[in-house]
Amino acid sequence: MKIFFYKSILIFVLFILAIHFSFGLIKKELSREISNLTSKESLEAMKDKLREEIKIGIEKDNILKPEDAKIIKRFLDKVQSELIDSTEK
Amino acid sequence: MNIKEKIYRPIFLILIYLIITIAALASFQEHGVHIEEKYHRLNGLFWLNHIAQIFNFENLSFITEKKMIGIGDYTLNRPADFPKYGIILDLPLAFIEIVFELEKIENIYYLKQSISFLIFLISSLFFYKLLIKRFNNFFLCLAGIILFITSPRIFGDSFLYKDVLFLSFFVISLYYFFNLTENLNKRDLFLFAVFNAISFNLRFFAAFLPIVFLIFLILKNFKDKKIVKYFKIYSIYFFLVLFFIVLFSPYLWTNTFSNLIEIFRPLKNASIGEDIKILFNGNFYSNRYVPETYLFTWIFITTPIITLILFLFGYIFYVRKFINRFINLKKSAIYNDLWRSQNESKDFISFLILTSFVFTLLIFNSPFYNGWRLVYFLNIFIIYFAVYQINNLSILFRKVLITKKLLVIITILAIIHNVISLIKYHPFQSYYFSEIITNKMKNSFEGDYYGLSGKHFFQRLNLDYQNSKFKIAVASHTPLQRSLESVSRDVRKNFEVIGQDYQNADFIYKNNISEVNSRLNKKYNIPANFVKVYELNIDGTVIYEIFKNNR
Repeated sequence: MKIFFYKSILIFVLFILAIHFSFGLIKKELSREISNLTSKESLEAMKDKLREEIKIGIEKDNILKPEDAKIIKRFLDKVQSELIDSTEK
Repeated sequence: MNIKEKIYRPIFLILIYLIITIAALASFQEHGVHIEEKYHRLNGLFWLNHIAQIFNFENLSFITEKKMIGIGDYTLNRPADFPKYGIILDLPLAFIEIVFELEKIENIYYLKQSISFLIFLISSLFFYKLLIKRFNNFFLCLAGIILFITSPRIFGDSFLYKDVLFLSFFVISLYYFFNLTENLNKRDLFLFAVFNAISFNLRFFAAFLPIVFLIFLILKNFKDKKIVKYFKIYSIYFFLVLFFIVLFSPYLWTNTFSNLIEIFRPLKNASIGEDIKILFNGNFYSNRYVPETYLFTWIFITTPIITLILFLFGYIFYVRKFINRFINLKKSAIYNDLWRSQNESKDFISFLILTSFVFTLLIFNSPFYNGWRLVYFLNIFIIYFAVYQINNLSILFRKVLITKKLLVIITILAIIHNVISLIKYHPFQSYYFSEIITNKMKNSFEGDYYGLSGKHFFQRLNLDYQNSKFKIAVASHTPLQRSLESVSRDVRKNFEVIGQDYQNADFIYKNNISEVNSRLNKKYNIPANFVKVYELNIDGTVIYEIFKNNR
């Protein structure tokens, strides 16, 4: 009985510790990362960064590379023509 | 012990206590008031009013209501929303305030602080008695209590009747628990239950004592085979603890059962708490997800190094012994399985409380903040195992005179180091950092979380600018307006605290307490038109800074 009691306690403690130091820690680490990413300050910082990048882009002579500009133009023309077709039908 | 020793020991002890008491009480008013003093006063008055209403004491009810209305602070929580908060000191002090007609707010706070310190000193006497029964060595135990009292952060907080008040009652409970390991008598059982309940009233961590007591009796029963007797003893004790817990907490006088369960909710929902950011090792973390090393790091960087080393070796030495005992368990033995003597049973209890408590905190992912102040009672075990280690070494080297003397020198050095730190940090001992870390590192942790520097700040400005009137902005999470109560009325009227309205401020007060990640959130950034005119720096730790508007 006595030895059984001690063994049970030992196994219980080891089990709890094993769970904690494996899944528990991973879960905590993930939760911390998610909490950091979704925190108000992080979102505000992201917004600030986006605003900053847009400002820098506006000040440049060319925002897009010539090849990219051509691709986007062709893409927009295509979309536009499809939209016109669909309204005529 | 001969007659000479019988006489000089108490005299020596009284002398030490007299010196500590006089030094502390002569200088404690310089500590300032902490940001929660106002809340504690309100808490005491609120529950006194509650009791006055229950027993129909109309006059008392009227006075307390009037006083509560007078405590106007929009940043203050309502005690009715936090009914679980302990009243063991707040309520009697509110009563004293009314009976002795204390009107000056500074006097009310200072009285409370001095009583808190005296309780701490009394508890240290219990700690001495606890040590002397265990180690039976006067000078060793004397060194133990001096280390206990002079632990810088503990000493600083002993005036602030929060975490160290719990430590004080916990150590008294432990003393009676240790007495029970020698003799399971009714008197000690009763007093253990009373002080256990008082400790529980302050922090529910005291629930560990009944659990450890139960484990102790179960293990003791394996050898003694007195299950009925132990069951009876434990039942009486448990009933008494419950009775006193309810008695000491007016919150439990109604809906006792459901409210009692409610008290344990913080443990169950430990990972849910107030989600604030805390500065730890240069990074901001949500207090729900502090690193696993949070508690250990704080203990490591704020415990005097000699004490810490002695504790670590003492603890490791005991763990080794414990594992040996565990491995060599026998089906039947003439001694207890995990201890061989009454003294060893005390080591086992200390080990069990310390270890199981720390693991529980880690497993339940308890939210932490303000360093390790919530668990300052662990200092009892830090000192216990430090003394245990000195004792081990003195036994080990009892025949080597040089080593024995070296041990005495180390112990004296540890005490001198503590005393020097207390003087160096005065009156900010609560923010002590160990010398082993760099100044840069000291400032990468939370600093003045109690807002104790508020008093120093107002007095400093008043002195430098000779009674001029100023608007003060606060670049920190500290509710600075509460610190105005720590200065005299003449000084108080010269200042208006205007929060984060920097552009209308004459000065900005800043300490490194922020509830947001101040690297991403700019709310506590100092505007460019302000220049730093003062910095209070103690041993490399920046306590607070003053910025002046250069318009």
